[in-house]
Amino acid sequence: MDPSEVEFVAEKEMVTIIPNFSLDKIYLIGGDLGPFNPGLPVNVPVWLALNLKQRQKCRIVPPEWMDVEKLEEIREQERKEDMFTPMPSSHYMELTKLLLNHASDNIPRADEIRTLVKDIWDTRVAKLRLSADSFISQQEAHAKLDNLTLMEINTSRMFLLDSLDCMYKLRTNLLSRGGAPKGHDY
Amino acid sequence: MPAERKALRYGHSEGHTDVCFDDTGRYIVTCGSDGDVRIWEGLDDDDPKSINVGERAYSVALKNGKLVTAVSNNTVQLHTFPEGDPDGILTRFTTNANHVTFNGDGSRVAAGSSDFMVKIVEVSDSSQQKTLRGHQAPILSVAFDPKDEFLGSSSCDGSVAVWKIDDQVQVVSWNVLQKSSDVSNAKSLCRLAWQPGFGKLLAVPADKSVQLYERNSWNNVSRLSDDFIAQPVNVVAWSPCGKFLAAATIGGFIVVWDVDTKQCIERQKHEKGYTVCGLSWHPSGGQIVYTDTEGCLGLLDGVAASSPQHGSKNNEVAMGNYDDLFDEDDDGHLAEDLSENGLAANTVTGGGNEDDEDDDLMPSTGRPRNRGAFLDDDDDTSVDAGSVKYENDGRVGTPLPSVPCPAVSQPRYEGPMPTPPQKPFQPGSTPVHLMHRFLVWNSVGIVRGYNDEQDNAVDVEFHDTSVHHAMHLTNTLGHTMADMSQEAVLLACEGTDELASKIQCLHFSSWDTNKEWMVDLPKEENAKALCLGQGWAAVATSALLVRIFSIGGLQREIFSLPGPAVCMAGHGQQLLIAYHRGTGFDGEQALGVQLLQFGQKKRQVIHGEPLPLSQKSYLSWMGFSAEGTPCFVDSEGTVRMLNRSLGNTWTPVCSTRESCKGTSDHYWVVGVHENPQQLRCIPCKGSRFPPTLPRPAVAILPFKLPFCQTATEKGHMEEQYWRSLLFQNHLDFLSSSGYEIDEEARSKGQKEQQELLMKMFALSCKLERELRCMELAELMTHSVVTLAIRYATRSHRMALAQRLGELALEKATAQHEEDHEDDEEQSELPKSHQPNCQQTQKEELEDEDLGEQDDREGMDSREGTEGRKPCECLSSFGKEQHVSASNPSGLSAQPRATNVLDSMTPSSRKPLSLGISGGKQSKEPALKPLVPRPKSKTQVTLLQMNCPKIARKNLEPATEEPAQKDTISPASPPASTENLKPKTGFQLWLEENRKRILADKPDLDETDIIKEAMSLFRALSAEDRLSWTERAKGQSGGTADLKKRKRREENVEEKRNELQENSTKKTKTVDTSARLSAFAFNKT
Repeated sequence: MDPSEVEFVAEKEMVTIIPNFSLDKIYLIGGDLGPFNPGLPVNVPVWLALNLKQRQKCRIVPPEWMDVEKLEEIREQERKEDMFTPMPSSHYMELTKLLLNHASDNIPRADEIRTLVKDIWDTRVAKLRLSADSFISQQEAHAKLDNLTLMEINTSRMFLLDSLDCMYKLRTNLLSRGGAPKGHDY
Repeated sequence: MPAERKALRYGHSEGHTDVCFDDTGRYIVTCGSDGDVRIWEGLDDDDPKSINVGERAYSVALKNGKLVTAVSNNTVQLHTFPEGDPDGILTRFTTNANHVTFNGDGSRVAAGSSDFMVKIVEVSDSSQQKTLRGHQAPILSVAFDPKDEFLGSSSCDGSVAVWKIDDQVQVVSWNVLQKSSDVSNAKSLCRLAWQPGFGKLLAVPADKSVQLYERNSWNNVSRLSDDFIAQPVNVVAWSPCGKFLAAATIGGFIVVWDVDTKQCIERQKHEKGYTVCGLSWHPSGGQIVYTDTEGCLGLLDGVAASSPQHGSKNNEVAMGNYDDLFDEDDDGHLAEDLSENGLAANTVTGGGNEDDEDDDLMPSTGRPRNRGAFLDDDDDTSVDAGSVKYENDGRVGTPLPSVPCPAVSQPRYEGPMPTPPQKPFQPGSTPVHLMHRFLVWNSVGIVRGYNDEQDNAVDVEFHDTSVHHAMHLTNTLGHTMADMSQEAVLLACEGTDELASKIQCLHFSSWDTNKEWMVDLPKEENAKALCLGQGWAAVATSALLVRIFSIGGLQREIFSLPGPAVCMAGHGQQLLIAYHRGTGFDGEQALGVQLLQFGQKKRQVIHGEPLPLSQKSYLSWMGFSAEGTPCFVDSEGTVRMLNRSLGNTWTPVCSTRESCKGTSDHYWVVGVHENPQQLRCIPCKGSRFPPTLPRPAVAILPFKLPFCQTATEKGHMEEQYWRSLLFQNHLDFLSSSGYEIDEEARSKGQKEQQELLMKMFALSCKLERELRCMELAELMTHSVVTLAIRYATRSHRMALAQRLGELALEKATAQHEEDHEDDEEQSELPKSHQPNCQQTQKEELEDEDLGEQDDREGMDSREGTEGRKPCECLSSFGKEQHVSASNPSGLSAQPRATNVLDSMTPSSRKPLSLGISGGKQSKEPALKPLVPRPKSKTQVTLLQMNCPKIARKNLEPATEEPAQKDTISPASPPASTENLKPKTGFQLWLEENRKRILADKPDLDETDIIKEAMSLFRALSAEDRLSWTERAKGQSGGTADLKKRKRREENVEEKRNELQENSTKKTKTVDTSARLSAFAFNKT
């Protein structure tokens, strides 16, 4: 999966906006949205929120977790624990990126949030790399992926799977070479 | 008796705080790590005045209208009190000061800083400084000796020192504290305190106890401790009388000792267990205010009154001290005398009495009895003294309260106190003194005002950007009031000495290129409140006038108000004014309200009736719902709405308090919507109004009438029903004032109400409350009553069903009468599926060759067509039949409604007709007289297309059982009354001639009989037929009563047979139509 695809998936997440226009309910295959009343908060998918924002039709209310204090807490927690901690949103990275890129004026302390989320991401990806390393070095057969978000899994999937394939090939080669002479012996 | 611990309230953001009372005890002053000093008028003050003094404030002290703060920019600042204007910098340190304090007369300030230094500065001349050096670590606390001779200080180096101020030398030092490197690491703040009066004792909090050191000898004379204290003592404070010592600890315990007896008289625990870091006694004792490190402010009330067993002695000592304080010339010997015996009291009272004679003014004494003695014996001082002495001797050991000591005068009931009248305000605005505030927030948009150093501006923003783009105006005039509507923004400022009060209007939506006007009010007249309506603006002024302007700036009406305006609101052509009707007492406001209507018919709807506020509350918001119903909110958070259907009374529709999480949280209302039912408001944590930044988010609260037992199903449904009714009122109002109304919303609401009624009915039935069932049925529409009858029948409540039947009948008659009246009123009927428009309808039908009428012409269109079809199959009537059919339904329909089933027939009319009849019939047709007509035609044709099937279905069972019918129908000429249709001429004729026909052709079945009969009837001469018709009319009128009586018996029987075949197919069709009518109701 491409990161852009993951981002696309993340756009289905709901976010609260405050529209500055008035529109009746709109009926979509994915569900009904609205009604939109100027000044009244309403929940819409991120893709719509961003579209409206770009047309200056709304203000985006940042999700509850997109707050410096909360993120600092999560960061500390993440740093303290060896395992992955649950994230406030399964698309925290994508949402942060999307919202901060398009609606940073609606999010207080946007820069700090960006840094914090990046910190959390780095911590988690470092953990992921470490565990992948130990996974291979200890030749484990399976690993649990609790509390990992799609984007995180995605970063290591391609490389990890390919390298596992590669290593398998190499190992089987080694084995066959080791086994074949034996066979010849008999 | 333990002191009363008042609920904590949010004062500052988390961090170190400090607190003190002002000299009078009226204000509580707090400072906190948010750098603000807040001035609270009592603990319940919801809008404390904030003064920003710096980034962080560490300590605050107040005396003689001067406020001293230690702030994070390493200075000790002076502010005026209560204005809060900066008044210079007293002194600076190299790092921040930790504690500041005044001396007894307020001439000097001492400050202890983290740079190990203590400075003493003259308030009047900050160059007069004394520096005390000697501590080896940051200073924790400083304390002035009340005689101004010594100064105590505590430091992180573990020492507590006493300095001689004049010589700037350390007199004594004790190492009693734990050492620490910095204030933030110190275990305790170690706030020292000298005993008021002579300063005999210095209280030093040392670990878990308080050490008392004696003046001059500097010996540790006693130690106060209590088992209750588990953690180090942080702060100590002497009561103003010097008798009690309060101490607060890290863990949030507050303990009060009686110092003489060393008894603990008060133990309180902080409700959340936070560290108490500020503690202060009320200047007259009795109250202790405290703050904690989480920024909360709390208060203990009734502390001094807590030890009656010490009463007499307390008084003595307290009085002695007060005498010291107030009569320093006497140098205390008076006090000693006083405590000895009553003789001293004599001299004192005698002295007081002499004063009396001089100026005839009473010094404020604690006891009226003494006053009486003075008054009686005005001329003879010696006798007076004697009498007082005698009295004193009588009360052993209780000396007279000293006259020159007003501070200990006992609380006395002063009678009802007038409430200060509420200031005028704009609904949806935040207080004027804020630098950044909302001038208005309403359903159209937001006007924000900025008034700081760089900028004085007004920002106008619209919720809906399609109304207008946002505006930024410079506010050179200093506007403080604003309102906005879809058409304009109205701003106003109060006048100053040079400038008159101005009103500025930006009518942005007009086509004129000049979109602004401004008007000056006459001199000495200030704008107090303003509002915008549709095409007009209103301003209430200090001259008790309301001035109406047109939106373009024309001056229009002007009228006087009976009292000073509090606030105004406009909507459409309505103007709502709240004003002071008089003086309120004991916290109540006496507000009156006027509602005026402009436009075509100008009138006053509410003539200055009292506004029903909650107890001891004031008006906090007033306005109209989006649909135009007046509403207001009081400071208790109760939202009330005008109930126009109950003589303009006010109904509480929501209590925002119930939704609040904390006691000091509030909802700031910005709008009310009736459809959908929404209360739009902004949740405010720890305050009554929101800050401008971060931008507050609107929340929606549901309405809830304060009905009893809404947790039960019954209460819940009752609440829902009445709420639904209340929130429908605006539709009536709108239609009566000529607006288009949303018929869909109305019928939806009605359907909801009827459904609720039916549910409640079912519930009451289950609970076997038949009377309640009846009461509910009375609220129902006719069609729903029929459903209720069915329900009752099925649940075997025959008595109830019978009563309901009567009710249904009444309702039907009432409705017919109503309809009939309408008929007369209207020559043209607005909608053809309205039941009483048979005439028009019939003409249409005729036109379309549907025209043949059977004997049930009274049916409304749907049933009519259904019913008509079978007749068409039978044969056609003559045109003359139609004469009787088209006679005004009033006569013929009324007697017909004598049967339960039959009474169902008009039922389907109700919901349909309600749509119009409820919505002011007189108006509607005038607006659009013939519009709905084509619609009805299509409907009729549609029904026509549908109904043959139904009709045939109806016919089939009928024809299958001819035998059965034959036996019944001829045998029961009275059975024809069972049909209870008003009879037409043909019916009468048929009744009379049926036997004859049967005799002639005995093998005919029912349908054939009628066919035959019809052809025979037609063969009659025109005159004959007419006479039959006449007879039919006469009879139907005459038999009505009889039938009514009969109906009772039939009724029950009939219901049992409800689903069975009835004797004739006519009833059969009626039955189906009745069922359909129930269905029809659901459809509407």
